[in-house]
Amino acid sequence: MNNRIQELRKERRIRQEDLADAVGVTRQTIISLENGKYNASLQLAYRIARFFDRQIEQVFIFEEE
Amino acid sequence: MWMKQVFEERSMDFERICKTRIRIGIGVVFLGALAVLVVGLSQGDLPIRYLKEGTREFIANFYLWMGIGLMAGGLVKIAKGRRLLRNPDLKRKQEIMETDERNRELGLRCWAYSGYTMFLLLYLGILASGFVSATLAWVLLTVSGVYGLLLILFRMILQRRM
Repeated sequence: MNNRIQELRKERRIRQEDLADAVGVTRQTIISLENGKYNASLQLAYRIARFFDRQIEQVFIFEEE
Repeated sequence: MWMKQVFEERSMDFERICKTRIRIGIGVVFLGALAVLVVGLSQGDLPIRYLKEGTREFIANFYLWMGIGLMAGGLVKIAKGRRLLRNPDLKRKQEIMETDERNRELGLRCWAYSGYTMFLLLYLGILASGFVSATLAWVLLTVSGVYGLLLILFRMILQRRM
């Protein structure tokens, strides 16, 4: 699962720490999401998409293997 | 409360969790004090059934230091809980740290991997222990049996809850 979190965050000049605080996770989780090491739960994905004011599929890109 | 916390994804009120931890801390301090008191009152002369040389001293020291450890751990838990309740910023940070889904998954995986490893070590221990001591083999077999039963029990509970 790819995502555009880093791209959207940089576009809006938001720090990882601020995004983490807004969606209720640690900064390390945001780092892992951006690096593709960790896949967000549906709940977290919704919260992140809502934070960027986007649809979930605009932030998280599902790729069939 | 802790059953819900363990088995359900629903988040609990963190303030309530802190207060419960303080109460648990008080209980732990009490248990520690009780252990120290028992050792103190018996003056190292604990009623031990199977006596080998040095057992009495070992058991007395064991319970004394366990009591001291419990009291120290309980006091730390109380102090930490009170500090969190007094400082809302710190409380929020700690809440995020503890409820963070990646942290929770890491914790669960650590338990799972250490469980697999423990089971493997038990199996190897059972294989080897027969050559050393039948008692040891029975103890290890019992431990692995209890472990297996607990696995089945928790699977049954989780299947109903999830």
